[in-house]
Formats: sequence, structure tokens, C-alpha cells
Amino acid sequence: MRKVSSGTKTADTVFHVATGIAASSPVVLLLAIAAVVVVQSIPSIRLMGWHFITGIEWNVGDTYGALMHKNGVTAAAGASFGALPFIVGTLASSVIALLIAIPVALFTALILAYRLRGWVQWILSILVELLAGIPSVVIGLWGMVVLAPFVAHGLGPALTHVGVVIPYLRGPVGTGMGLLTSGIVLAVMVVPIITATTRDLLQQVPVLYREGGIGLGMTTWEVVRYIAVPYIREGFIGAVALGWGRAMGETMAVLMVSGNAINFLPHNLYSPISSMAAVIASQLDSAMSDGSGMAVHALSELALVLLVLTLFTNLLARLLVSRVHHRRRGVRA
Amino acid sequence: MLNGTSKWASLSIAGLALTALVAGCGTSNGSNTANGSGTAANGTGGQGGTQTVTLNETGSSLLYPLFNDQWIHAYQQVAPNVRLNAASTGSGTGISQALQGTVQLGASDAYLPPSTLSSNQGVMNIPLAVSAQQVMYNLPGVTGHLKLTGDVLAKIYQGQIKYWDDPALTALNPTVKLPHQQIIPVHRSDGSGDTFLFTQFLTDTNSNWANTVKYSTQVSWPSLSTGIGANGNDGVVTTLAENKYSVGYVGISWLNKAEQKGLGYAALQNKSGNFVLPETANIQAAVNQMVSQVPTNEAISLIYAPGAQSYPIINFEYAIVKQQQADPATAAALKKFLSWAISTNGGDSAQYMTPVHFLPLPASVAPKSQAQIDNITG
Repeated sequence: MRKVSSGTKTADTVFHVATGIAASSPVVLLLAIAAVVVVQSIPSIRLMGWHFITGIEWNVGDTYGALMHKNGVTAAAGASFGALPFIVGTLASSVIALLIAIPVALFTALILAYRLRGWVQWILSILVELLAGIPSVVIGLWGMVVLAPFVAHGLGPALTHVGVVIPYLRGPVGTGMGLLTSGIVLAVMVVPIITATTRDLLQQVPVLYREGGIGLGMTTWEVVRYIAVPYIREGFIGAVALGWGRAMGETMAVLMVSGNAINFLPHNLYSPISSMAAVIASQLDSAMSDGSGMAVHALSELALVLLVLTLFTNLLARLLVSRVHHRRRGVRA
Repeated sequence: MLNGTSKWASLSIAGLALTALVAGCGTSNGSNTANGSGTAANGTGGQGGTQTVTLNETGSSLLYPLFNDQWIHAYQQVAPNVRLNAASTGSGTGISQALQGTVQLGASDAYLPPSTLSSNQGVMNIPLAVSAQQVMYNLPGVTGHLKLTGDVLAKIYQGQIKYWDDPALTALNPTVKLPHQQIIPVHRSDGSGDTFLFTQFLTDTNSNWANTVKYSTQVSWPSLSTGIGANGNDGVVTTLAENKYSVGYVGISWLNKAEQKGLGYAALQNKSGNFVLPETANIQAAVNQMVSQVPTNEAISLIYAPGAQSYPIINFEYAIVKQQQADPATAAALKKFLSWAISTNGGDSAQYMTPVHFLPLPASVAPKSQAQIDNITG
């Protein structure tokens, strides 16, 4: 048996402690963040109750006036925190982003994985990954200067003609700062994420399966539809969930193109909106000068709702993935 | 290794506990900040008088062009050992960072709310100069200055006046041909001293606004699907320039930039019923009406001043400062800089004020600011 020196033993202990801390950090961080957000939210939860997620009036209150005592907590007089417009804004804009991004990402990934070879594929892949690396504020600026005027004067008026069939597409189109522009900007940010993941997944589809399909006389589309897409379905759902999480949490770009609506729900595709993340970013500073501190608590509760919503969509995606998994196993058996 | 798993588990738990301890500290810090009772000031600088001292300023985007482009350079000659840093972040940030002690100077167009003053002992708002705000619009084909009243603006922002050719607007401007186009009211989405000034003007001139929306650096804007929120004075100017038939409020130090983008600005009705432009003489007239009322803590609204010539939206540019600074050197440097800033031989001299359309602190107000500055200790 080899004699273990004290130096080696110390190194081993250091290794154990270091890996222990590192391995536990994801759990600890998640718990710590959740704990801070929950603790900070408690006064706001006591003030507003369920009305926080059903109300549409967001009012810090008269910060230059008297304080108000209600439900055992103190807030500026007239304070009311109803976050429904921000919740709806977040969900609506991110869903629009996904509706645009899913087909674009899937088809781009198919081309990248199956059609292109050599340096063309290499360059296009790099470009997709570069698109993912563009800072959100840059995309926001593009959205503000280029996209919003286009939505207001080009895309919007064109879509209103479809409004005869789908009421939400009816005008007025407004300024171009709103739901549709936010959705498109988010789609631009989500597409590269979904594309890159999907491309990797498609490349993992065994060549034998695809060749088998072609051998049976399937067309290219049929190979994609009946062999490639079913093969990657679980991973693809995961990629979409990843993109959805990104879209809901995106702050700066939405802040710049959403129109920062407050106190009303969007009534058509062009309405100004606000997302939860954007409201937290834009209101935190003035919230900190609220002497009662309630404005900060309300923003914490908004962060809590966003956190719960993100975790929920993530869980939902995992559930879908596992269901698909089970079904397939059933078929195989 | 037989007991490997349990050993790993116990080490992981130790790691968890350790990290939780760190996270726990973070939690308590967080709640301190939220309560506004954080007393630890983060001062920088040396101990002796000759050592380099750093003073950081954040806040008002209205004060920024003066502070960053004029004062920092000028003060370098006065006190070479003091390093000044400035950032344009909006008054909301200026106030909150000064309260937390992240910066020594918070710049704000708004004075502090009574509740903030009472929950943060030893925080002062010290006027440095006089500023103003103009109401701007993007109306292609309209030259000269539109006449607007606070009451009409309040109705526009509440959605009671929807079109530019509304009778209320045409009655004020009989000679101007106003288009039948929907008005796009633009407001600030970030915490802003400009919002504070504008909403205070509307509060003073429209009773419905005074009863519902009131005034603050961030208000609950009436639900209006035609309106847009924009970030910062530059954001408002950009949004106005890009949206025809829009209207918004912009700080006076941004007037030149906004005019270059083709925006017009309004003559506003003052308390005497006259329509006045934000010109030096009119701003000075309004200041002269208000100086006698400035209290010791200098928290006062100068909006809607009486007098035939007074421009209705003017304000003090405040420095939000804590009495208790981190160390004597920082306190001394801060006192010296603020005293220089309010002096008409120093920061408030015409060569710095004129480019940004500001006015120096009135002679009777300067001593009150000086008295507050003298309270700073290290």
C-alpha cells in the first residue's frame, strides 16, 4: 500500500470542499434568490392579496403626501399594485415571439443540418450564433428606429385587412411601439437560441434512419416530417422552452419598443404593453425614493411572479418532454 | 471507499451552509436598503488634505450636460486633487443612490418627499442652480409657438382631448391651422424629475389631475392606448422626433438638441393668464416671485409662480447629499465643491449657465444652500 503524505491528504480535503461548494451552488443560489424575493414581497402580498395578479391599476401612490396604513402595512396614500397588464404583456409578447420563431428556427435548422455542406454551412452556423450574441440593447435600438416605424406604416396597416377575420388584428395601428413590435424583437432574439439547439439535434438523427426513409421512396419533406422531426421532438420542446424563458425575462429590448403601457390591458395586436422585467428595470429607481418602501416590495412581488411563471413554463416543458418519452416507449414495447 | 457517499453528502451540506451564510448576509443588506436605513456610506478618498479624493455624481439627465461638460473640467483648475465623476441616470437613481451612500452627490430636479426626509435622517436637498422645462411637439407644417395651458395638457394626457383640432386647442391658437390627427402623448417611463415638474404643473392647473394622478417622479399615468412611455430626456426627444403629432415634456438643457430634430415648443399659460416662453427673462421673473418663500430645508416647488411674466415650469436643480460622509477628507472636498458650484464666481457663473439655459441661484437663496452645505461632516 502506498503511503499517503499529509500534503496529498490536504489536497484531497481541499478538493472535496471545493467541489462540494461548487456542486451545491446552483441549489443555494436558486434558494437564496427565491428567499430574498419572497421575503421582500411579503408586505406587498399583505397589502394587495390576490388583487396583485388580477388588478390592472399600478399606482405607487402619493409619495409626496401622507402615508396610508392598510392590512397592517404602510404605503403611500392611494397605493395600488395590480400587475395584470404586465403579466399579460409578458405572456402575449413572448407567445407572439414563439409563434414567429418556431417555424423560422425549425426550417433554418433543417437547412443548416441537411442541405448545406462545407464552408457555406460553416459561415451560416457562425452567423446564427453571432445573432445570439448581439446585445439586447442593440436589437432594441434597431426595433425602435427601424422596426417600429415599419410596423406603424407598413406591416400594421397591411395586417388590419386581415382584421375582418381575426378581431385582434384590427386597428388602430398606433405608433408602432407595442405588442407586435415587442414580439418581433423578441423573436429575433429567440430564433438563434432555438436554431442552434435544433440544428445540433437534427445532426444527431442517425443517417441510417433518413437513408431508410429515402430508400422507401419518401420525399425530402416526408423524411423531415415522419423521421427527423419525431426523432428530435423532446429536445425541440426543450429548446422552445429555453427560448420562451429568454423571451419572458428579456428586459432592455422590450423596454425600448413596448411603449411602456401602464394601467390598461392590450386590446389589439398594436397596443402599447409593458413586460414584468421591463417594469422592474424602469421603476426600481423611483421606487427606492418611496419613503414607505412599499414600491420596492411591489416590484419584488412582480419579480416573484416572473420567477414562478418562468419555473412553471420550464416544468411544463419538462412534463411535455417526459410524456412524449413515455408514449414512444409504449409504442416500442 | 465505503463511506464515500455519506462523506460527499456531508461536505456538500457544509458547502451549502457556508454559501447560505453568505447569501444570508446579502438578504439582510437587501432589506436595509429597501427600508432606506442603510447608514454605511461608501466613501472613497484619502485621509490627508493633499491626497486625491473622488466624488461621484449620478442622477438628473437635465443637470448632466452642465455637470459633465462644464463643471468637471472647470473644477479641475480649482482643486486638482479632487476627481469628479458624473453619470446621467435620471433623478430617481440619483436620489436612491445618494440615500444608499453609493455616491456622494445625487442630482435631482425634484426635492425629496417628506416621507423620505423623515425616514432618512441627515439627508439634505441642496439647490445648485435654476432650471426649466418646455413642452414640445412634432407638428409638421406648424411654425412659431403653439399656445398651451396646463389644463389642456392635463386633458390631453387623460384622453379627454384626442385630436389636434379639438375646439379647446383651436380656441387657444386661432391663427394656426391644426390637423385632424390623433395626439400621441409621450411620458417618461423611468423615474424622472421632469415627470415630477410636469405632473406638478398639471396638478396646479387641473383639479381632476390633482385628485387622481397627483405628482411624483413616477406617477400612475391615466390609461391611454395612444400614449407612449420613453426612457430619459434623450428617449423622449427621439420618440417625439419619430412620431408625428406627438407631444411631450423635455428639460431645458435638451432644448437645442430637440430643436435640431425639428421639434417645436409651446408658450405656456402662467398664473396671470399670459402665454410665456422658457426664456431667461421669464424664468428669472418666476424665480424672483418665489425666492422669499424658500424654507430652510429648501424643499419647495417653483411651479406655476405668480407674476405677469413668470414662466410656469421652473425648478431648482438639487444635489441630494448626506450630512454624514465616510471620512473628513471626503466631507471637506464635498463642501468645497458644493460651495464653488453655487457661487456666481464659480459653478453658477454665466459662462457655464448660458449654454444649458440655466440660471444661477438667486442671491437670497445661495446663503440657505451654503448653510446646508456647512452641515456636512466627515
